[in-house]
Amino acid sequence: MAVLEIKNLHVSIEDKQILKGVNLKMQTGEIHAIMGPNGTGKSTLSAAIMGHPSYEVTEGEVLLDGENVLDMEVDERARAGLFLAVQYPSEIAGITNAEFMRAAINSRRDEDDKMNVMDFINKLDEKMAVLDMPEEMAERYLNEGFSGGEKKRNEILQLLMIEPTFAILDEIDSGLDIDALQVVSKGVNAMRGEGFGSLIITHYQRLLNYITPDIVHIMMDGRVVKTGGAELAKKLEAEGYKGLMEELGLDFEIEED
Amino acid sequence: METKTKDYVSYKDALQAFSTALQEPEWMLQMRLDALEKIEDLDPPVIERLRYNRWPLWQVPNLTGAPAPKAIDPFEFIEDKADAARVIQTGNDTVIETLPQSLKDKGVIFTDMHTALIEHPDLVKEAYMSKAVKPDTNKITAFHAAFMNSGLFLYVPKNVEIEDPLEAVFIQNSLVEDSFIKHVLIYADTNSNFNYVEKYLTKGDTKNAANIVVEVVTKAGAQVKFSAVDQLGENSTVYFNRKGYTFRDSTIDWAIGVMNNGNVVCDFDVDLVGEGSSSDLKAVGISSGRQTQVIDSNVVNYGNHTEGNIFQHGVIMDRATLTFNGIGHIIKGAKGADAQQESRVLMLSDKARGDANPILLIDENEVTAGHAASVGRVDPEEMYYLMSRGIEKSEAERLVIRGFLGKVISAIPLRSIRDELVDTIERKLTSR
Repeated sequence: MAVLEIKNLHVSIEDKQILKGVNLKMQTGEIHAIMGPNGTGKSTLSAAIMGHPSYEVTEGEVLLDGENVLDMEVDERARAGLFLAVQYPSEIAGITNAEFMRAAINSRRDEDDKMNVMDFINKLDEKMAVLDMPEEMAERYLNEGFSGGEKKRNEILQLLMIEPTFAILDEIDSGLDIDALQVVSKGVNAMRGEGFGSLIITHYQRLLNYITPDIVHIMMDGRVVKTGGAELAKKLEAEGYKGLMEELGLDFEIEED
Repeated sequence: METKTKDYVSYKDALQAFSTALQEPEWMLQMRLDALEKIEDLDPPVIERLRYNRWPLWQVPNLTGAPAPKAIDPFEFIEDKADAARVIQTGNDTVIETLPQSLKDKGVIFTDMHTALIEHPDLVKEAYMSKAVKPDTNKITAFHAAFMNSGLFLYVPKNVEIEDPLEAVFIQNSLVEDSFIKHVLIYADTNSNFNYVEKYLTKGDTKNAANIVVEVVTKAGAQVKFSAVDQLGENSTVYFNRKGYTFRDSTIDWAIGVMNNGNVVCDFDVDLVGEGSSSDLKAVGISSGRQTQVIDSNVVNYGNHTEGNIFQHGVIMDRATLTFNGIGHIIKGAKGADAQQESRVLMLSDKARGDANPILLIDENEVTAGHAASVGRVDPEEMYYLMSRGIEKSEAERLVIRGFLGKVISAIPLRSIRDELVDTIERKLTSR
């Protein structure tokens, strides 16, 4: 069992403090969801955990099995077991999707133990079938010209290929139609198990109808303000963030839509 | 300027003897002698953002016609392929020349320039330095016309379509001191359709000049796909002029890898003359060490509804210089013409010098044109994304660069040339 623990995390972007002390602990075998209004720091949390260069951690720790990943380079964090699926991944012409994924898998393997081409293709075919992705997408350039839905499927495909210990999904459901949402959920559910944990960041409750979380955290104004079970998401859907704020006695401006 | 010290006209007798020994037709000798007279008075072409008047480009070649004393084994550089259509030249000598019988039967000519001038003088004359490149355009073309010492002629007759690429390999002999004045003439007759690939290499370390002219003339409806990988040596100072001339509705698509190791000026030009003709000019370059490479692409729309595209991407390392000039010129009267260009340079070192210089000259109103240019570094977002999947920084950078150059690589039809270009890029990048 692996443990990911976020302790008192403070993060700034261009000197503006976004996270003001986030605490969160999860372990493999669990699916956690983070919900919260726009502009509350959900995406900042995921970017800071992965090590995006624009985000500056001013205080706190992110421990993976006791080791502080904030001391690691981005690629080291990934090889240590972290994965981040994003809403708007980079488009990189000239590198095929398949080539990229093979490089990612092989980066985790020793020089004399690289994945052979046949094993790779078989695995890729299998995972693409799970996500209803046409075969030709493997040979297209990485995210180049992909629609929003294709990009998100492609992020989940990478998740299935790389099989990380902890996956953070950052608003992967935004803008997806029901079919695509079901496919993406199917992919994440396929990963569910003892050796895998996931932190799902979402603005909407509907994704959680397809991926049932074990734990739900509500984030507001740069902090986790409430943690509960799957029922918390449903309650939030019914009562809105305003209702929750009243209950918690919180008072600040939020963007509600 | 070094040129001032040369009295080119004094080579008249030697040139005459050289031409006679090769049994060249009278028109050829005359062209050489006329050009010889003009070298002195003409200026070298102005290349934006480059001063090259001190470059050693003006060494008159050995005109004795004697074979080079040191032979080169071509198989050091190429694989043995019995059935392919190809011409291999080492220095001025043609060492391999194969053309499948089926193509000979169709009238395809693929042979060295000396043989072509003897066997097909009139056909060569139709296109040789009369349409695309003219002897009196500038000092370099005049020098070339006078002293051209070897080359290749490819003629594809009317309506002939060839599936497999025709391949030429030119190995500059720098085991000896001699200028490399190579001329390639590709003459695509009406509605012909074929792929041509060429490769330039250097054997040996002697400091030599190279003056290479490649002309592609496409008659009505002809379609030529042209690919090249240039890998001339560190001690070769090179002027490279590839120029296309299109008749009505014909097309020339170029994919060129500028991977030389010395100082090089490339003039890649197309005159879109015939109505509805088009050209897509793609080039990639890498400059490393202390070398300077300038790629000057110039597409001129003369005809109505002509389309010209320039696309050039390059990478600079170390203390090297790489400049892309993209010149799109629409002549008055070329209604419905389209001139587009994109030049991008990626700098991998603080000491490198890069320039992407777009120039649009438009003398007609009813046209479309556009340009994009940038000089920059590897995109940190792209690096972050690749690294977030576990890929190490150096590998991520290599992938981004290969991606950046990929659009030209994928346009090359022959897999072996494509792989060779990829290998060359990898080799240059890993030598950092």
